[in-house]
Amino acid sequence: MTASLAAVAAFRRRAMAADLARVFVILALLLVVLLPIYWMVAASLKSNQEITQDATLYPHAPSFDNYRHLFSEREFGAFLTNSLGVTAASVLLALAAGSLGAYAIARFHLRFRLERVVGLSLLTLRIVPPVVILIPVYLLMLSLNLLNTWLGLILTYTALNITFCVWMMESFFREIPVDLEEAAMVDGDSRLTAFRRITLPLAAPGLAATAIFAVIVTFNEFLFALVLTATPAAMTMPRGTATLIGRIDTDWASMSAAGVVGALPIVIFALLVQRHLVRGLTMGAVK
Amino acid sequence: MRSARRARLQGAGFDLALPYLLLAPSVLIVLAILIYPLWDGLRASTQFWRYGKPLNDIGLDNYIALWSDPQFINSLWVTVRFVGLSVAIETVLGLALALFCLREFKGIRLLRTVLIVPMVITPVVVAIVFRLIYASDAGMLTAFSETLGGTPVQILGEPLRAFLALVALDVWEWTPLMFLILLAGLQSLPSEPFEAARVDGAGPWRTFVDHTLPMLKPVLAIAIVLRAIDAFGTFDQVFVLTRGGPGEATRLLSIYGYDTAFKFQQTGFAAAMFVTMGLIMLALALAAVRLLRRAGPT
Repeated sequence: MTASLAAVAAFRRRAMAADLARVFVILALLLVVLLPIYWMVAASLKSNQEITQDATLYPHAPSFDNYRHLFSEREFGAFLTNSLGVTAASVLLALAAGSLGAYAIARFHLRFRLERVVGLSLLTLRIVPPVVILIPVYLLMLSLNLLNTWLGLILTYTALNITFCVWMMESFFREIPVDLEEAAMVDGDSRLTAFRRITLPLAAPGLAATAIFAVIVTFNEFLFALVLTATPAAMTMPRGTATLIGRIDTDWASMSAAGVVGALPIVIFALLVQRHLVRGLTMGAVK
Repeated sequence: MRSARRARLQGAGFDLALPYLLLAPSVLIVLAILIYPLWDGLRASTQFWRYGKPLNDIGLDNYIALWSDPQFINSLWVTVRFVGLSVAIETVLGLALALFCLREFKGIRLLRTVLIVPMVITPVVVAIVFRLIYASDAGMLTAFSETLGGTPVQILGEPLRAFLALVALDVWEWTPLMFLILLAGLQSLPSEPFEAARVDGAGPWRTFVDHTLPMLKPVLAIAIVLRAIDAFGTFDQVFVLTRGGPGEATRLLSIYGYDTAFKFQQTGFAAAMFVTMGLIMLALALAAVRLLRRAGPT
């Protein structure tokens, strides 16, 4: 009797110790992830004097001057507009074209097994790392007079996104039973109407997951933006931020404010859609 | 009746052309902006360029010249070390955390939410975050050191420390993804073998080695290869954090290729370097596909 009571107590003690260890690890993780971000946000509210001379651990006289400065003198408003415009346009284009293409690949049997050829080619292109086409895309945009324009960026990002969109959407369309469309068509719908009324709504979660992933990758893209743009007329947020930092090597206050402004839109977006995001990020590997 | 229905479904005229029309936009964009440049890049890599113009065809000379360029060899070596070290640390950390979080408990949702931030935050900004940690005059490490009565911390000016600082950045940014993938993988494992192991009286370590690891192997292998490909192409973070320095200590292939093309204007040579880089990444990707196949039907 007492022996079993002691065993229960020992078990409880061990369970409590495990819980404590877990809490400790979680707190340590939160600290490691959040402390660097806190440091940047804190620095963005300080003056350069406070950052370098006083090295305070939190802003003693917080002010938004650094942010005002970015928008009034460093054209961050233009970068933000460019980023949002280019991202929205290229993701929508890639999603529209890619979904239609994916639907054709998933549903039709074409001559010469064309749909399989196209599907496999796009998948193969997906494996080719984008750096391989960095130089020729630059030369192409140079010859088309599209350097430093929205259109040049939009075309490039649409192409880079389209292989991903086709690949994702194809698997989503394949999961939707053909019978549903055929029933609608027997009832008198045309193929396109059936697609719009039946298939597209059912594929909406897949469409959302694809769009979310494409938005994050496109908004954050830097290498092609670095090569294809040169002035605030077309520079995106990451491009503008990196350029500012190249110029103001020791202006830590502006640099940290630029970091906050540069990351804020996409972090907010990701947190709003995080349920779809975790599924999309891990699906590729586990599925 | 049946054939009538078929005819309806297959249609004629516009309906016959429909699938081709649906495919056309994707195919056209990909042809113009992926396939043509790919071909053009291959062509450029076999030419000698000067001042942004191709002068003459030199066959594979650029590719051969790569391997006698000490700067290329150095960049390749830096890249391999960077990928190897970062991915190894991320895998071990990610797996340990995933095992630790396998049992549902309070706080896991908060943890997941927070862990999303490093991997979605703009890579250029991640580099800013880490410059603000490492800077010897304004950095977090220096501030902590001085608060504790120490001296400023020097990191980015010293080759080995700068390299390790870059690895630390990558670990901070990408361990969460490793963790989430491996956690999903662990959660998809069947529970019977683990119950059997417990009945047999196997300890946690034996259970891990005999059951968890073998069953997790496919997911683990794919996660490692995908991460390695991604790390191999790292550019943004280095461009902002160290610009490849000090000296050539953190100059990854992508940075050297970019400088060769857009700073030194050796377009053909740079194109050959990027193609070589692509081939290495392609080999890694094919390894991933083979692993997937061996893991059985997906």
